[in-house]
Formats: sequence, C-alpha cells, structure tokens
Amino acid sequence: MKKFVITISLVMVIGLLLGIFFYNQTPNQALPDIDPQPEEQSIDETPTQPEQIQGIYLNEQIGYSLQNDRLQITFDKGKNWITVPIEKDQLFAGEYNGNKQELIDHSYLLTENRTAFLYAEEPSWDNETIRILFTLDQGKTWMNSVVTEHYMGVRFRKVGFVDDQFGYIIISGGRTMSQEGSNVFLTFAGGQSWQETNNSGVSRLIADGGFVDAKIGFLSFGTINPEAPELYVTQDGGNTWKQATVNIPSEYDKIFVQSETPFIEDDHLAVFVNQGPNGDYKGGLVKGKFISTDKGNTWAFSMEVSPDEANK
Amino acid sequence: MKQTSKKMNLIVGWILFILSIGIFFLQIGFLFFHERLQFEYIDNRLFYVLNMIFVICLFIAILQLLNLEKKWKVFGAVVVLIFMIPNITMISQTNKEIKNIISVSPNFQHVLSLKENTKTGETYYYRSYFGILGRPKEKLPYQTNGRFKVDWLTDDIAAVTYKAKDKTVHQYIGTYGDRGTGISYYYVAAQIYGVWQGKNARITNETEGLSVTVNGRTEIYKWDQVVQFGTLAIVLMKNNEAVWTIALNKDFNVEAAEKGETPGTILLYKATMGKTEPILLKRISSSM
Repeated sequence: MKKFVITISLVMVIGLLLGIFFYNQTPNQALPDIDPQPEEQSIDETPTQPEQIQGIYLNEQIGYSLQNDRLQITFDKGKNWITVPIEKDQLFAGEYNGNKQELIDHSYLLTENRTAFLYAEEPSWDNETIRILFTLDQGKTWMNSVVTEHYMGVRFRKVGFVDDQFGYIIISGGRTMSQEGSNVFLTFAGGQSWQETNNSGVSRLIADGGFVDAKIGFLSFGTINPEAPELYVTQDGGNTWKQATVNIPSEYDKIFVQSETPFIEDDHLAVFVNQGPNGDYKGGLVKGKFISTDKGNTWAFSMEVSPDEANK
Repeated sequence: MKQTSKKMNLIVGWILFILSIGIFFLQIGFLFFHERLQFEYIDNRLFYVLNMIFVICLFIAILQLLNLEKKWKVFGAVVVLIFMIPNITMISQTNKEIKNIISVSPNFQHVLSLKENTKTGETYYYRSYFGILGRPKEKLPYQTNGRFKVDWLTDDIAAVTYKAKDKTVHQYIGTYGDRGTGISYYYVAAQIYGVWQGKNARITNETEGLSVTVNGRTEIYKWDQVVQFGTLAIVLMKNNEAVWTIALNKDFNVEAAEKGETPGTILLYKATMGKTEPILLKRISSSM
C-alpha cells in the first residue's frame, strides 16, 4: 500500500507541475477576443430593423406597422407600405400605459374602403385637440377633421362607422380615481364634421360603446370590478340616454358583469356580456349572450357562448 | 485509546488523499478541456490556489497514512515547497496582467466575474457555471481604468459601477433572474408604468420618457437614453454617462403588473463610485 500511495502521489505532483508549465505556456491569460455586444443600446433601437417591416396584420392583406417611430399601413400584404401623415406619439396621447408597439384597440379603422385614426394634438395635458385622420382611397388622399377641442387626458377612444355617411366616436377623459367624463360624437357627413350628443351623465369608467344605426346607440360602463352590466341606451341619436335593464339569471349573478357593444342580429338586437377583468367562470372567457326585442331597453338571457363563437 | 486515534488518522488520511485525487482530476480536466469548451476559472488565480490546496492535502494525507522516516518527511516538505513556489509567484503575476473582480451574491447562489486586461483596459463580463467556472459573455463597451464597485441590489442583480478611461461613469448590470415566467422577454420600462414614490424620490413613467425626481430635482430621461440589462434593470444615461439604475425588486411580479395589479417595488440606485444605498419605491398611481 505504501508503494501505491507514493507512486500515485508522485505521478500527481509531477503531472500538476507539468500542468503549471503548460498552462503558463498557452496564452490562457489573454482575454477572449469577442466583439462587444451592442450593450449600451437604446430600447427603441433593439427591436427595429429599418429595412424589413414586420407588420401587424388584421387580415390576409391589410396591416399596419409602428416600426421606426412612424405609422405605416399596407393593403397588399406588405408589398407596399404607405406612411400615414401623423406623428406616432399623437396616436398614444392622453392616458395611455403601454409600450406603443400596437395601436390602441378601437382607436382606428383599417379597411379597404375606409381607414381612420383617432389622435390628439397635445399642447398640454389638459388641453388636447381630438382629431380624426381618414382616407377613403387607401392613402392617396387624406382628410382631417376636429372632433373636439380643449379635451383633458383622453383615455378610452373608439371610432366606428355604420355606413358611408354615419359614424360615431366615443371618448373619455379627465379621469380621477374611478370617475371620468365620457362623450359621444356623431357624423352624418362621412367624418368631415362631428357633433357632440347630449351627455349620458354617467361618471363611471367607460368600457365600451357603439351605435347600431343612426338612432340607436349604447354605452357600457364599469371597468374596475364591475358587479353587474351597466348599459345605457339612446333611441334618438343621443338626445336622451337611459339605463337599459339587463335581466341576469340568478345563476349568472356577478358572473356576467360587463356589457360589450350590442349588434343587430336577424330582427332583434344581441349583446355579449363578458366576465370583466377578474372573471374566472369556466376559465373567465365564456360570455353570456342576451337578446333585446325592444330596441335595447330590456335584455333577456339567451345562452352561454364560448369566446370563439363570440368573436365570430 | 491509541487504537482509536490511529483509526482517526487513517480516516482523515484517506479523505485528504481522495480529495487531492479529486482536485488533481479537476485540474487535469480543466487543462485538457478548457480551450475546447471555452471555459475558464471565474478567477484566473483559482488554478494556482487549487494546486496549493492539492499539495497540502496530499502531504498531510501521506503523513497520516504512511509511517515515514524523518528524512523522507523532510524530503516531502521540500517537494511541497518546490511545488508551492511557482504557484505563489504566478498568483501575484497573473493578477498584474489580468485583474479579476469577483463578487458573490448575498444568498451565495450567483457569482459575478469580471476580468480586466490591465494593459488595454478591456474588461470582459463572465457568466459563472458551477460556482468556479466561467464563460465570457460580453465586453464592456468602454475602456476601464481598474476601479470597479460592485453592489448587489437584490440576490440576482449586481450593479457594477466603473470609470472609463475618459473619466465618465458607467454602469453594467449583471442579471441572474427574471420577474415573469422566465419564458418571454419584456421591457422593464414598460412594466414600471405609473408614478413611483420613495424617500425623497419619485419616478414618473411619461409618454416621452422617465422622469426622475430626487430631493426636489427633476430630470427627464428620454426612451433613447434608457438601456436595458437582462429583464431586471435599466440604466438611465445622460451626456454619455450613467446616472441612475432602476431595478425590479425581488417582490416585483410582471404578471401582476400586466394585469394592472400592484406589482411590487422597484429600486433606484445612483451611478457613483462613492458609497450609495438603493432607494426603495412603491407605486402610488398607475396613471401618469
């Protein structure tokens, strides 16, 4: 055993002595020759690839891009990109918390026949001019009209058109805690001019809204912990607003709590009522479908729908 | 009694002998494979330190295991001495050429390793593996002047403050974790929306950038002055110098932030070579 231990020890000592010698011979101490990573690079630069535009597509052909700090749209799958004459920041003016990688939902229309963007000129936070920029010929000519002036901190923004001439804009602003003002503007001239309707008088945070024709329109309120849908209806083009009655079956009480925008279905109106931001019934995405046969005054439960069906 | 003590000596002897064999194979493995696998010891001096531990263990083991005559013991001691001399010389020599900066995280889970070529002022950041091995990850973008300050802001965020050759102050943040699911990349600046308040400090996430108010003085950092490290921290730059680091604290939860719930706290840390403590900030409003 003595021999064994001594032999092994000698082999190891000699081995490592040679190791030290070889280790010092190799240029091991020279630091690697790697290129510095583009470490001190700005966040804005990281995702941009100036040459190739990665669009966000709404369907096969039509899409937009916010790359390179400008808004560009395409109607031919990205072969040609048209720059929209608008500053990117104006699209996100007011109360917006996001990374500006995508346009704000509902704040634009992008179709073959009509493209429109809601935006705000913002000399100061409490003095915004809300404008709409639109084109009917896929960006060859652009038109611009003022929706309202002296607006404060726009939060919710939605634009929609029911036909060529009639359209609506719903905005909200001046939010303090969970109270804000919401306003509805209508056009009967294809977007050239806008008139404000009478105010609904509700100061809860608006969740959604829209018109099904020039007379009948809706506003849905309650974005933070809603307990029941709060749907307001007008049947005279915004002159008067009243709260609609949504009859929630008791088993869906406090489950279906936030109304979306009603739409015309066959000979009646229909609306999906979702579970709000905190719903967890069947995964939280199932919605309740409600039907109205009296132009939106009262709503009766029809069925549960899966999110796929509701998005059709 | 004598028997037990003899048995103890034998056990200690074998343990040390096996330990020295282990170190021997580690070193030989390192010598053969480190170039091919592009591994290094996180501190270059570790190679020589391990050699010395090896020879001391082996010497004690032999004394315990074998009944040697006095002359052989002396011979052994001489061998140890001969073995130690080149190692001790190399330890001081190697650190003159390559300065090693090592810092272990407060929870002993991570090791920050930097190696600076003292002649050229080039410094490399190393990712550590198994606590003692490292691979170069990136080169710091500025030539350094040998002075580094390392502070662990949390168990997985190490802030390295250093002065470049042109005397400007910079920060490099080593990140070893994530505050989300660990799968997706996210922008730190986008996660910390709203208004954050701490002791004599306030951060507001505004449309054009981040506004930082400390002791009543407000500075705005536009988005192109914000540099992100990993998914845990951003450095705010002004006039080509680092001014502040904002780090997501250990209790920060990205999923909560995305849902609009209270996401936890953040830390504001000044870029200075002097002593400074990070300031804790809580969100007081989710809007601007």
